[in-house]
Amino acid sequence: MESASIPLPHGAGGHAAEHEHHGPPEANQSSRIDRQTLGILLFIISEVMLFGSFFASYFFLRVVVNPESWPPHPFELPVAVAGMNTAILVSSSFTIHYALEAIRRGNKTGMKLGLVLTWLLGLTFLFVQINEYVHLGFSDRTEAFGTIFYSLTGLHGAHVFIGLCLLTAATLRAFRGHFSKEPEKHLGVEVPGIYWHFVDIMWIVVFFTVYIL
Amino acid sequence: MKFNEAAVFKWVLIFAVAGGSAIGLALLAGGLVGALYGLVLAIVGCVYGYRWTREWWRGLKGPEDRPDDSDSSS
Repeated sequence: MESASIPLPHGAGGHAAEHEHHGPPEANQSSRIDRQTLGILLFIISEVMLFGSFFASYFFLRVVVNPESWPPHPFELPVAVAGMNTAILVSSSFTIHYALEAIRRGNKTGMKLGLVLTWLLGLTFLFVQINEYVHLGFSDRTEAFGTIFYSLTGLHGAHVFIGLCLLTAATLRAFRGHFSKEPEKHLGVEVPGIYWHFVDIMWIVVFFTVYIL
Repeated sequence: MKFNEAAVFKWVLIFAVAGGSAIGLALLAGGLVGALYGLVLAIVGCVYGYRWTREWWRGLKGPEDRPDDSDSSS
């Protein structure tokens, strides 16, 4: 099937018709950062603000309302399990970094291995978190403590889920051979990688705040 | 200075070390000490992050990136 050619206005045709490019013209880029990376940076800044509002609520409940004990008696948080989960998530940052370094060197097998490992570690984290929710012994309706606990950890869990979806897409594309060593040819791994690191950093802060303090 | 996955990975390591030390201190010396130490780390991190971002942004906007004025005259 032949593609339909659109007649160009007078003065805009000529040389343009000789080019291979189809569709609308390329957007102007005024800085050295590519738009995908700038987009994820701006998105992360907005996410930091979102998490900041949840942390503000947490500290308001904990410091300003000042209950007798935290967590309120008789509830206890499984610090050891959450600590193990922290180790799992931090490990996943290393594996996604390995995947990126592999594709930068042109090692596609290493990239696939790194992506699959990251995906599995992320899924493990999510399963452990859900298992923790099941065995905690309190719900999101159990005082303000339960609400803010589930809100903060649930917000983070939702981000892990989104990250897993992005990693799924990146892994599928990797197995289809979409990526190569040129910087602009593996942005589909790099951008989810940046997001995954952000999710990891946020968990370190959430874990320290909710489980340790 | 670049903003890419490798640069963000360094931040993961920084947060892991800072978080690990804060967790260790909180477990050893108590929650209040850990919280104050964490607050100091957060302030230092914010200042350092601000300066890093500013330097990175300056590095992005070189003279060659500015739009060409000759195009706007026609």
